[in-house]
Amino acid sequence: MLKKYIISFLFLFLQYLVASQNASAIDYKAYGFIQPEITTFLNGDGRHDQSNSNQSIFVKGTFITYLNDGDQKITINTTGRIDEKDSERSYIDFQKLKYEQYFDDITLKIGNELIFWGVNESFNIIDIINQSNLAEDISGTKKFGQPMISLNYNHSYGNFDLFIMPFFKERIFPGRNGRPRLALEVDKSTVVYESSSKKNKIDAAVRYSTVYDDYDIGIAHFYGNNRSPELNVNPLSQKLDAYYPILSQTSLDIQSTKGAWLYKLETLTAKNGEERHFGIAGGTEYTIYGLRETTSDLGIIVEYTFDDRNDFAFNNEGVLALRWTKNDIKSTSLLAGLVADMSGSSNRFFAEFEQRIRDDLKVFIDMSINGEIDADDFTYAFEEDSQLTLKIAKYF
Amino acid sequence: MKRMKYVKIIFIVFTLFPFHLSAETAEEKGLRIAKASYENGRGFTDMVSDQLMILIDPKGNEVTREVSGKTLENLDPNDGDKSLTYFKTPKDVEGTVMLSHTHISDDDDQWLYLPALGRVKRISSSNKSGAFMGSEVAFEDFSGTDYRKYEWKFLGEEVENNETFYKLESYPNYENSGYSKRISLIDNLNRTHKLDFYDRKGELLKTLYLEDYVLYKDKIWMANTMKVENIQNKNITILKWLNRELDVGINKKDFEKSSILRLAD
Repeated sequence: MLKKYIISFLFLFLQYLVASQNASAIDYKAYGFIQPEITTFLNGDGRHDQSNSNQSIFVKGTFITYLNDGDQKITINTTGRIDEKDSERSYIDFQKLKYEQYFDDITLKIGNELIFWGVNESFNIIDIINQSNLAEDISGTKKFGQPMISLNYNHSYGNFDLFIMPFFKERIFPGRNGRPRLALEVDKSTVVYESSSKKNKIDAAVRYSTVYDDYDIGIAHFYGNNRSPELNVNPLSQKLDAYYPILSQTSLDIQSTKGAWLYKLETLTAKNGEERHFGIAGGTEYTIYGLRETTSDLGIIVEYTFDDRNDFAFNNEGVLALRWTKNDIKSTSLLAGLVADMSGSSNRFFAEFEQRIRDDLKVFIDMSINGEIDADDFTYAFEEDSQLTLKIAKYF
Repeated sequence: MKRMKYVKIIFIVFTLFPFHLSAETAEEKGLRIAKASYENGRGFTDMVSDQLMILIDPKGNEVTREVSGKTLENLDPNDGDKSLTYFKTPKDVEGTVMLSHTHISDDDDQWLYLPALGRVKRISSSNKSGAFMGSEVAFEDFSGTDYRKYEWKFLGEEVENNETFYKLESYPNYENSGYSKRISLIDNLNRTHKLDFYDRKGELLKTLYLEDYVLYKDKIWMANTMKVENIQNKNITILKWLNRELDVGINKKDFEKSSILRLAD
């Protein structure tokens, strides 16, 4: 409830700021896109009786304005989806709804924001500020805006960030008709927190980041409700009960850029509830420019992730991918690769193609094919969810 | 006083024997003209402008890309300028921001913010010969304007359209260039008018024409139109600088990695 009041207040405040400007002086940018999507599932009906097809419409809108000669900035960035089959996948989110004030070396930011930490292409293990929307994308790369007050201090030695984050948001999982989805539903009525303030706990994080020669380095600490809950089967309801422990995570991320070679590393140590764990993920990306005397580039990406928790879903995984960029007027590109559990219990092939077909139209074709998956693997529930998705984005 | 005398003597010796000047080798003369031509465009401190990039294929199809950018001149003569570019069209890349710290002998440092990813990535800049945004302009054409990136040679004078130009040959001295050599025509105000690029095999690849020269701050010549004709694939790229302003007083900190987010969506 409080959150709604604050969002309304923020809206009014932003309106006031805009209105207080000389009308002719307002310079703004507004753009976005609408993207219908059609998915067909290659194994027919799903393991949990889901349909063999789905349709969906995704939208994104962005509005930015600078006030007082650029000393203040307002950003509104909204995404939303209407999904034919899964009501959990239909949503609207203010990814960014923020007011920024720029002082000489300090930036003050209030409102919803997306903060990305890390350097890897695939395994973004240290990225923790924003909650994931697994209904939107089961791999967790799609995030919700996180309300925050944040301060950035830009010193010649590097950047210092402080984040104060109220209003924890629970993770969103695919619903009954979602595909892919977990074998059991996540019960929204039985959520338990370690913190006595539950979802009202105010989370905090600090980060230091700097660029030194060919190195981009970040060190961060997060303390708050873990974005990722523990899920336990409730034998009575036959649903999954979610438990959110308190997470205290310290992380380091480094990228080294040496000519056509990029070397990437993310590592963390964290106390999750009572237990401490360690994780490391990294790899390399090498690009061949001007492939066979054409204007195309070919990038080769190899990444690996390790986590010392035996019961953790991604404790020993590797990815090998190729990224082909044609560098033509149509911005044609293809990313394809293999994600494999190195202990050999699951693997998945994926391909993502994109091309601009008109100045304001872009087509995307995504494919995901699951290989053999062991019955005890976390992704076993998705084994029959190999899919082909066609998306066409119309830009405004 | 004694020293003054020596200086006088040396001065006299030099003025008495002007043939010393003609002893300048073709390489020295080439370097001198290239340096003067480069310095013609220096001293701007900082710069803002909007740019249009028009791509034309052999069938006459035309696509226009719009970006706006700012550049900070590096007053350290041994290091390169910094630039920040904001992409407006095509619409699917609107909101993309690129920051580039150029260097004279090393690879440039480049960071890219892509709205679809919502993160700032450090990218490799070793793709010198790669096409910029699907155009006929290579990355090295932007970052390689410093005369020290080439070995020079004066070839002679050439008359074109009743105007006499210095004709210079240059060879890139950095790795991964897509060119074996370049031939430039420079006028007596040290402005480059035409530049032929030869590919690695030694074949003529493309010709760059620099037009619409404008004199800024009474001393800086900048071309506001550049046209690249690719001889091999017949594509044409036209670059236009609009609303170019120099010495506007941009904060140095705007060109740091963390400032990309102030521009980003």
